[in-house]
Amino acid sequence: MLEVKNVSKVYGGGAAKVVALRDVYLRVNDGDFIAVMGPSGSGKSTLLNIIGGLDYPSSGEVILDGKRIDNLAENALVDVRRGKVAYVFQQYHLLPSLTALENVLLPLIFCGANGGSYKKAMDILKKVGLEKRAGHKPSELSGGEQQRVAIARALVNEPSLILADEPTGNMDRKTGGEILSLFDQLNKEGHGIIMITHDREIARQAKEIIVLQDGQIAGKINSEEGGGTINVKEKVV
Amino acid sequence: MKLYRIVLKDIVRRKKRVLFAALGVAIGTMTVVGILTIALAGQARIYNQLEKYGPNLAVTPAINNVETQLGDLSLGTLAVGENYIPEEKLPEIRQIADGEIRKALGITDEGNIATLAPKLYINTEVKGTSIMVVGVDPKEEIKIKTWWKIEEGKYLEGTDQALVGAVAAKLLALNTGDTVDLNGNAVTVTGILEETGSNDDYQMFVPLETLQQAYGKEGLISSIDIRALCNACPVEVIANAINQNITGVRAIAVKQVAEAEMGVLERMNKFMLALGGITLVVGLFGVVNTMMSSVNERIKDIGIMRAVGASRNQIMRVFIYEAVIIGIVGGIFGYVAGTLLAYVIGPIIFAGTDIGFVLQYLPLSLALAIFVAIIATMYPAFRATRVRVADSFRSL
Repeated sequence: MLEVKNVSKVYGGGAAKVVALRDVYLRVNDGDFIAVMGPSGSGKSTLLNIIGGLDYPSSGEVILDGKRIDNLAENALVDVRRGKVAYVFQQYHLLPSLTALENVLLPLIFCGANGGSYKKAMDILKKVGLEKRAGHKPSELSGGEQQRVAIARALVNEPSLILADEPTGNMDRKTGGEILSLFDQLNKEGHGIIMITHDREIARQAKEIIVLQDGQIAGKINSEEGGGTINVKEKVV
Repeated sequence: MKLYRIVLKDIVRRKKRVLFAALGVAIGTMTVVGILTIALAGQARIYNQLEKYGPNLAVTPAINNVETQLGDLSLGTLAVGENYIPEEKLPEIRQIADGEIRKALGITDEGNIATLAPKLYINTEVKGTSIMVVGVDPKEEIKIKTWWKIEEGKYLEGTDQALVGAVAAKLLALNTGDTVDLNGNAVTVTGILEETGSNDDYQMFVPLETLQQAYGKEGLISSIDIRALCNACPVEVIANAINQNITGVRAIAVKQVAEAEMGVLERMNKFMLALGGITLVVGLFGVVNTMMSSVNERIKDIGIMRAVGASRNQIMRVFIYEAVIIGIVGGIFGYVAGTLLAYVIGPIIFAGTDIGFVLQYLPLSLALAIFVAIIATMYPAFRATRVRVADSFRSL
């Protein structure tokens, strides 16, 4: 379970001060699928980075499975990234010199995992439907394929929570739909998901939608109950 | 798959950048290896000479150079003293030399121990070319010049004969049987020497008496070479005894000359190594620069690695592996280039030196290059690990 308590994030100081997040409170239960929406600059990515331990909040607490992670030293944060939380980026962020399989192996290498790594990575590539492309480099793969590799890389350490920052942002509707159903499947298998998206249709697949505006949570809806209407100020979407 | 495989794959992708960094390392190591190789060859040459001439002394007329001046203006030097040693001083010098050797070795037998080879130098013209003619005592001379080999003909046997150095024979187109006119006296070429790599190649040797008579220098000699026969012989002591007891001559041990030469060489080596060190440091800055931009262009890759679980130490290791590879490539380059440099420059500094690959400098070169590469990588790599993961993506 993840709890974000009164988290604020301020960049810069004085006249150049920018408040990216303001007193955000969020609670994510195991196995939840949450979509985060909001205009550019509303603090969506900042929130995700703080949850994933890629950035520090200016104030507030982030509690993951009963343990504060917002005040952890860099070396302790590594453990969070190695196990509980995994990232999927809009830009895929694969290492260009490595093959698909090697990119999936990467988290295992950093964990120091030995024997069985290849089989595990290959199994996961199979799961995302890319076993035939295992030996290809990212430059030889399509956007959808690259994102599948990135998802496989996120899955290889069996995280309880997957953070996805506009994973379908660079794709056409069909490919995006395929990636989305993959996320849906992962959620059904028990992985918690927090996904940033601009697409209302995509957001509807989530169990809960959070709308951020000016660094604050402007609205929350449970898509299963809420019937699809987002009950916030009209200009938001 | 291990971490170093990732580094290798990345290096293959960025070979130009890595080669460039390796070149920076190579320049420094090249200088150091070059200097060491030349120094080694120079030392070998001096040791070789020491071994050859070590137990020898040279006795020359005592000549003092006096500076003549008018006010502060130098008018050149005047040589004051005798230009020749009278031949009758030979037995006295022999007595001192033999006496000192007997004392040092604790022997009492009478007979001659040291070899004394008197010489008379006359600069003259043969067939219109200037040449140094050396009057020698044939029996004594061959005991000193043990490395002489006759290429053609035979060694000096009687008066009015000449033995010609290899280069001189070529220059003057002399063959055995030819006659050479020395101030109106005809001498016959009986032999031609093999090349020795020394001054002997440019000279012509005739019996002492023949030269003395031909130029009216009866009873006069220019110098005496003394060979003390044993490596343990106290050549410095003999030299001192001669200098103290016989006026008008100066004796010097060849060993002292070689040692002085060695001292000069050592000082020169230190100076050149300092230069090499500076080159190494300059190269270091070049590599720091290259690594800095190499790190900067990989900020995103570093962010990716950290986002998927790489610790700061692991990122450091990635860069240190890379530095080791740069060091190995640069070290090999530097070793080969340094030896080539020595091959080109060495003979200019020490004529006739033999320069080849000195295998023991390869590990040295590698160690030096790897050390420099790692030092140069530490700071950029350290900075890379301080970048916040979120920032490494945002900057794009």
